[in-house]
Amino acid sequence: MSFEEFQNQSRLYVIGALEPDELTEFEAARKEFGTKAEDFITECYALHEAFALSLRPAKSSAALKDRLMSMVREKRAK
Amino acid sequence: MSSAVDPKLEAGASAGVETERNRPSFNGTVELEPGAPSDAELMLGIQAEEPEALSQLYDRYNGILKALILRVIHNDTEADDLLQEVFMEIWNQAKNFSAKKGKPLGWMVTLARRRAIDGLRKKQAYLRAEARLQTETEQQPGAWVENVTEKEIRSGDARLLMGKVIKSLPEAQQEAIELAFFQGMSQREIAANTNTPLGTVKTRLELGLKKIYDGLKELRDEF
Repeated sequence: MSFEEFQNQSRLYVIGALEPDELTEFEAARKEFGTKAEDFITECYALHEAFALSLRPAKSSAALKDRLMSMVREKRAK
Repeated sequence: MSSAVDPKLEAGASAGVETERNRPSFNGTVELEPGAPSDAELMLGIQAEEPEALSQLYDRYNGILKALILRVIHNDTEADDLLQEVFMEIWNQAKNFSAKKGKPLGWMVTLARRRAIDGLRKKQAYLRAEARLQTETEQQPGAWVENVTEKEIRSGDARLLMGKVIKSLPEAQQEAIELAFFQGMSQREIAANTNTPLGTVKTRLELGLKKIYDGLKELRDEF
């Protein structure tokens, strides 16, 4: 697999769209390309941020944060 | 925005609703008030088990993460439950976060998406959500992103900028990416769902993702 092909596969990988047979081939190439491959995969995760940031923020229930913080403080106190 | 909304929610901070100072900017975070801790600093606080750090991170990103979860499961109550689980996971797993491997927001989005897709499958709501998604798509073609004007683009707002990049893709590529990212479908599932040859789905995903990736790089260079 060329590095350009690996880049295409990486973008599919980070969104979980590789098929099992492609994943095996991808993991082999990932090992072969080493650090360069890891750096590129890290960059591809920016796609996750981009998709999330493309959405209009939604409102959560007012009680949710209070409930969350109570759980956190309770857990911390244990 | 409806006047029936809680005034505190309207104010934006606790609801994660955008305000001028709490608006996603294009560096993959939100514009911060002077002196406010960065996301990385908040993650360090959470790693040190400081609830206040989680509280601030929640205020900053709950709106974005809720929108993402909602996009996957299409149910407001379930989305709130999952959002709570995501922030508990952020608290519990913060020690596993490494700034070397990316930004806090990317990590949080990955956690939220995984939880949402797991939740969708566990509750076997897949078919119901799919039907809702189809209805929404029919009612609002291209509802994933909105049309943006040049003025809005110049404002640097991340949502609008991303909207422009995504909107520039052919609809078939947008659909393939939507189904893969927000519905967690494999290429084969997308092919079956859209009556499209597998090879075509793969090409659509590859081309669409490359265009978004390249667009992101250009925008980052610009801002």
